[in-house]
Amino acid sequence: MKKMSTLFALLVAFSLVLAACGSGGTAVQDEFSALAEFEGLKLDAGSCDYGGKVLSIEAVDELTVVFTLCKPDPAFEAKIAFTPFGIQPQEHLARTGGTGELLENPIGTGPYQVAEWDRGNQIVYTRFDDYWGEAGAASTVTLRWLTEGAARLQELQAGTADYVSNLSPSDYATVQNDPNLQILYHQNPNVFYIGFTNTASPYDDVDVRRAIALGIDYQRIVDNFYPDGSEVASHFTPCAIPNGCEGESWYEFDAEAGRALLAEAGYPDGFTTRLYYRDVFRVYLPEPARVATEIQAQLQENLGITVEVVPMESGEFIAASTSGELTDGMHLLGWGADYPHVTNFMDFHFGANNPQFGNAHAEIYGPLQEASSIADVATAAPLYAEANNMVKELVPLIPVAHGAAAHAALASLQGAYYPPFGAPQFNFLDNGTDSIVFVQNAEPISLDCADETDGESLTACQQVVETLLEYGKDSGATFPELATSCESNADSTVWTCHLRDGVKFHDGSDFDADDVVASWARGLDASNPYHVGNTGSFDYYGYLWDSFMNVPAE
Amino acid sequence: MTTNIEAVVPAPADALRSRSLAALTWRRLFKQRNAIVGMAILLFLTLVAIFAPLLAPYDPVQSLLGIETLKEREAPCIHILGCPEDKPQHIMGIDANYRDVFSRIIYGTRVSLFIGFSTIGMAVVVGAVIGAVSGYLGGWVDNLIMRLMDVVLAFPSFLLAIAIITVIGRGLQNALYAIAIVNIPVFARLVRASVLSIKEQEFVSASRALGASNLRLLFVRIFPNALPMLVVQATLSIAAAILEAAALSFLGLGAQPPTPEWGTMLGSERNQVFTAPHLVFFPGLAIMLTVLAFNLLGDGVRDAMDPRLAQVAKK
Repeated sequence: MKKMSTLFALLVAFSLVLAACGSGGTAVQDEFSALAEFEGLKLDAGSCDYGGKVLSIEAVDELTVVFTLCKPDPAFEAKIAFTPFGIQPQEHLARTGGTGELLENPIGTGPYQVAEWDRGNQIVYTRFDDYWGEAGAASTVTLRWLTEGAARLQELQAGTADYVSNLSPSDYATVQNDPNLQILYHQNPNVFYIGFTNTASPYDDVDVRRAIALGIDYQRIVDNFYPDGSEVASHFTPCAIPNGCEGESWYEFDAEAGRALLAEAGYPDGFTTRLYYRDVFRVYLPEPARVATEIQAQLQENLGITVEVVPMESGEFIAASTSGELTDGMHLLGWGADYPHVTNFMDFHFGANNPQFGNAHAEIYGPLQEASSIADVATAAPLYAEANNMVKELVPLIPVAHGAAAHAALASLQGAYYPPFGAPQFNFLDNGTDSIVFVQNAEPISLDCADETDGESLTACQQVVETLLEYGKDSGATFPELATSCESNADSTVWTCHLRDGVKFHDGSDFDADDVVASWARGLDASNPYHVGNTGSFDYYGYLWDSFMNVPAE
Repeated sequence: MTTNIEAVVPAPADALRSRSLAALTWRRLFKQRNAIVGMAILLFLTLVAIFAPLLAPYDPVQSLLGIETLKEREAPCIHILGCPEDKPQHIMGIDANYRDVFSRIIYGTRVSLFIGFSTIGMAVVVGAVIGAVSGYLGGWVDNLIMRLMDVVLAFPSFLLAIAIITVIGRGLQNALYAIAIVNIPVFARLVRASVLSIKEQEFVSASRALGASNLRLLFVRIFPNALPMLVVQATLSIAAAILEAAALSFLGLGAQPPTPEWGTMLGSERNQVFTAPHLVFFPGLAIMLTVLAFNLLGDGVRDAMDPRLAQVAKK
């Protein structure tokens, strides 16, 4: 009884102390309440029957998020460091409805915030003074775009740009010989390919696709239209990626065999078709118009196929080609690695849900699905060999080349670099003034990068929105960004990410675990009210995590 | 200042009667130095177009990769100007796809002349019929047709051509239609104006009194008298049509690769002005020469058909 009365007296005294402490006491009380009452958001698929990799994502406390996977994913850390999985405040997502203002005004935790996007002209960023990491040297960064490599180089030579991306191959020597400029080589693994959609004639016939694969002189394309260091693609995935080159090498050029196969398919005199492309510089395709014209000439000469080349506007081309709408012709596209794992090449392109090449082939995505849950490279190798062999057999696309690339900056720009994965961070660049101008080769499509796939949009977003982990400056290794660490359980199916404390968004709100869950839920859950974006396709969520949750029945 | 009295004073009536208008126009045309220069260039271009397969050393769309040892966008190699004999001669150089620029320029003549004549041909035929019917019938038909023509003329012709191509799709054939459509109102208005003045003349009234049908009056009595103005306008318009087609191709809306069209050639290499100037110089020169030829000829035809106008211009 005495003990009880003592305990009661202590509680009363503690309550009085809290009451007497005023605001300070209230804060402590709030903290206690928050700890006791935190009910974080949870995205839960309920089961793994929906076919995706993610079972649930839960904010277990303000600074801890737990990802529970349906099966082990050896590339989990590499994937979550990718810009489309950037975090925005849940309030901003709700306020914008997941589209509209969100497309041009993302709110992140990055070193720069968007001040103005003058469509067709430039994006102006201002430094975020409450940034948790290394603040940018320049208070203003201007991102501009010029389609032509020569025009970008002229900007650099004139001193009106500090950094230009994607040098034209013919400009390498000019930059190397100019003491006022520096050349920055880019080691990003990539592939340029010719894609087909197999739902319409004549590309629904595998023999036609094989004939075209035989009728292209790959070496001639690489030798004459690519810079030094580029190589003919022996496999779809570059050999620099572990397991990329398992299985048989691609077809050798053999026009005679191609013509014979085409004749067997019922086209002894060839046929008329189209070749779609976008006239935008890419590392994997430095001069699209020239290469398109060369392929047009080769197909006419080697196989008797008459090709009309059709350049398209970049955004329109990406939307049409990746959704499998270009059924009356082939399309020229490519891929630069987003993260250093073979799944980034193979799973994205040959996944069961990708409509780009028409009907997906179970012979390809079957082994890929099996391999994607195997962490050990050697154990997964036979499965990737099988998948690569089936790509060669079924020819959903024709891998042509792995391109080499370089960028350029003023020699006076300190910290200039180009990472193998992702884009350079503007806060590491310093030209000694308060303003930096970065010129890339195309305008971003939107700044809602959860729903974009093009490099120009991702470069623009990367300055604003941050991910849980980030890639290194000179490798694909991952380092802490918004998460201080991510640890897995023994079988790599449960990943616990501990979030950085004290991080603020550009709107002044605090970053916490609910923002992580809300951002991921928006991309991954098809029934989420903010799963709207620019096109609503959220490609990377669907492809890298195998499927969306709650996809409405057709 | 001296004036050419002979050109101003009309020839005696009996002499005029013995010559047709066409013969007289030809005679006057051959007295115009500018017109002769224009005709000479045009004759040269026509011969080049006709004999392109004989003149061009290479297939204009064939890549020379694997056939010769070349560099991309290689500068012209002319043996008599010091280019080594062991190197193949390419007098206008090599383009980005390893094709002979000279051969492409030669075949481009065919394309450009075809564009000029076909687009203006279409515009003349359609415009003349519309203008003649409008002017002859008058009333609400005239009002309706002319307001439609006014609407078309209200748009800058090049922008209208781009808009039409946006709707019907890019490509040389569609570019030809677009250019023809934007030129129709010019000829329609011209013919209508001529028909309005000619139909009131006595010889038309006389024919009507003798029982000539409307069709006969319009196309046998009136229309031939409107032809001279039409010819002058058409000649001048061909130059503009060639320029418009080149501009459309430059923008990627007209002729598509690998068609050897000068505007396309210019557009695809527009960023090589400093690194490979021959790739923009020769197509540009070809366009300039062709347009100059039609302009000189057009001016000459106009002066030949209306000597008084020529004198006014000279004064």
